[in-house]
Amino acid sequence: MGIGKTAFWQALIAGNSGVDYISAFDTDHFPVKIAGEVKDFSARDFLENRKVLKVMGRDIQLAVAAARLAVDDAGIEGDSIDRTRFGVSLGAGLISSDIDELGLALSRSVDEAGKFSIKMFGEEGLRNLFPLWLLKYLPNMLACHISIIYDAQGPSNTITAGDTSGTQAIGEASRIIQRGDADIFLAGAAESKVHPLTIVRQHLLGNLSESSDEPKKVSRPFEKNRDGLVLAEGAGVVVLEEISHAEKRGAKIYGEVVGFGSASSASPPNRADTDGSGLARSIKAALADSAFSAQNIDYILAYGLSCPFSDVAETRGIKEALGERARQIPVSAIKSMTGHSGAASGAIEFIAAALALENFKIPPTINYDESDPECDLDYVPNQARDLEPEAVLVNSFSFGGQNSSLVLRKLK
Amino acid sequence: MELEKNRRRVVITGIGAVTPLGPDVETTWKALKEGRSGVGPVTLFDASTFPSRIAAEVKDDSFKRHLPNLEDYSHAGRNTFFGIAAAMMAARAAGLDNTVEDPRRFGIYFASGEGITDFSNLVKLILNNWSGSGVEMPNMLAQGLKVLHPLRELEQEPSMPAGHLAAIFNAQGPNLNTLTACAASSQAIGEATEIIRRGDADIMLSGGAHSMIHPFGMGGFCLLNALSTSNEEPTKASRPFDRKRDGFVLGEGGGAVILEELQFAKSREAHIYAEVLGYGSTSDAFRITDMHPEGRGGITSMRAALSNAGISPQDVDYINAHGTSTVINDRVETLSIKKVFKESAYETPVSSTKSMTGHLIAAAGVAEIIACIMTIKDGVIPPTINYENPDPDCDLDYVPNEAREAKVDVALSNSFGFGGQNVCLVIKKFSE
Repeated sequence: MGIGKTAFWQALIAGNSGVDYISAFDTDHFPVKIAGEVKDFSARDFLENRKVLKVMGRDIQLAVAAARLAVDDAGIEGDSIDRTRFGVSLGAGLISSDIDELGLALSRSVDEAGKFSIKMFGEEGLRNLFPLWLLKYLPNMLACHISIIYDAQGPSNTITAGDTSGTQAIGEASRIIQRGDADIFLAGAAESKVHPLTIVRQHLLGNLSESSDEPKKVSRPFEKNRDGLVLAEGAGVVVLEEISHAEKRGAKIYGEVVGFGSASSASPPNRADTDGSGLARSIKAALADSAFSAQNIDYILAYGLSCPFSDVAETRGIKEALGERARQIPVSAIKSMTGHSGAASGAIEFIAAALALENFKIPPTINYDESDPECDLDYVPNQARDLEPEAVLVNSFSFGGQNSSLVLRKLK
Repeated sequence: MELEKNRRRVVITGIGAVTPLGPDVETTWKALKEGRSGVGPVTLFDASTFPSRIAAEVKDDSFKRHLPNLEDYSHAGRNTFFGIAAAMMAARAAGLDNTVEDPRRFGIYFASGEGITDFSNLVKLILNNWSGSGVEMPNMLAQGLKVLHPLRELEQEPSMPAGHLAAIFNAQGPNLNTLTACAASSQAIGEATEIIRRGDADIMLSGGAHSMIHPFGMGGFCLLNALSTSNEEPTKASRPFDRKRDGFVLGEGGGAVILEELQFAKSREAHIYAEVLGYGSTSDAFRITDMHPEGRGGITSMRAALSNAGISPQDVDYINAHGTSTVINDRVETLSIKKVFKESAYETPVSSTKSMTGHLIAAAGVAEIIACIMTIKDGVIPPTINYENPDPDCDLDYVPNEAREAKVDVALSNSFGFGGQNVCLVIKKFSE
């Protein structure tokens, strides 16, 4: 979609999809050929100490870039804040190893009979891996690198709660500020799901669309002809601050995090939660936390995966939690444009919510051609809409049964 | 220091563990008191040519009898089995018959490490398609669909055990997993405590599970020169604070605790093991590969936990150290304790149970919290074994080699994650 909030927002409002044929690797004999890649991205542009690049897997690179953009946008200056009250809360996924890197080590571990030998791997194999190899792939390194770059010595956490990692990392960070353990946080998530092993895994699970004739039309959340999700990569990081801390330094305020709810579907993770009851619980918990009622919510950033069953479950969950009001609230699924970046998606959608508050516009759900009787809300089909939302609900859920919701409102 | 008035108090009402020292808390605790090491040659794969070929493995499989509904996660790795079995034992100890009146008030905050790669199939997949300089992608992708098993792949997601646990216990409340390396399960317990304190749940299942004793995990740590290579005498390899320490020993296992709001625990007449009194989380913000040489993050996290507990260093009767047995950790941790505790540092017993369990990575913190709880309960401090050669940089009372009887009301547990995420918890004997 773009790098930086302006490019991202312009693409969202124009309804431009970021999905295209995969360029990172060759998909000739594979049924899935498209993804939402971050193009023209060079982590070097976002780093002062470029030596650390070699210890950063793609997910980490995306995270540090988003953190840089957030810090610049918030105008945080060198010595202006107490570093011990500056925290980092980052959601992460499972970071897959570079397979060429592994391939080299494994290929040096083949014996004379042509078979892989674990004995040879212990010697020759390991010698062909870079000494800091492991560090490129540890999920906690997203938060660690960001802490180091900004000298953030306060609370630090890494949330690995599947696709809810982004919203839960933001929710948990706001809780830490509320309880007084920090004044300011970098919170968000990053993940690249555009990796050969990830794409194989996700396809094995039957989640991916095999359509590829028109890449930009494949992700179609809530639409009748949807046939699976489109993998993507990305990162979203926000600066959260205690209000008086923000006001004191004259920071621009996008909105206030007033509600956070987390709930489990409590059903075995690999079985579909078709009734959306877990999501309904997390929405209700977020509303209760915000002291808002359904009437106060005037816009929803959906999780909207574009999977046949999950979009139905989400629709049911929204209706269960918000009752009659659900039908009056516009609901957009920006995964129709971004694709699904796993752990990162919740953070990216939270940013879209903040930008909607700022710009008095809401992005559309694109590729919405035919309505599905089981998905019967107002999905803001195909065209951005003028709206001045006061309070936005952001939803996410995961195949592990995690659900999480945030309520962001315009500061009064 | 004064605590926030009316803060909801959080108590521990159940504990469960699967460790290299035993398939449950009792066996593990007995071994800790006896000063037995769980370290031996690696048997889970042929590590005979690895620079480090010793580990603390879970050898006694009898914990598996605790696993319910195994068909729901039969493709999961051993880490998941450790975590679920530990959770079942903790729930039983807490007298939870798997039901809580309002399941929405029952949450899970776990610390599962990433699951175990399907090593042999991954190797096959990559080597079958190796061109000499790279993997031939189109073929690899197509073969991947035949070679890899969908559920085996899905179960590697660190969020899965927390999901399974929610299903087993019908825990419909908050559900999270944290993975802050070696600090993860302490962080999970600290954050779960905060969730109860702030009123988002009344009862939380927390803890963690991990196994990195596989070729990529062992190999990765060998490359970082982090592991002990004292392969000849495995039980002597983990020697925290001893001058001849040369790295940590990889362990595996799982641990779980049931945390409850005090009134909630009382109303169901639960046995109370101890109270979680303080939690601190900070970051070194120094380097990915090294701790801050003056222990900046360790100092601030100990101070944060003490302040959160509303106590001063003199109130601490025992410190369960992070004590990994690496040259730098043990020196810097000693320095940090001295900075925080000043003169009283020398009067406070400090021991590292990693000398016996090895380093359980994401599960290390909860295993050590459980050791603290048992220390408080039994009045016995587990020793730091293999302490033979004093190190001038490490000059505290490490409870060398022999368990010690002592009245312990307040214990501090340190967990310092690789990459600089630090967590400290204060556990206190329960009193009204």
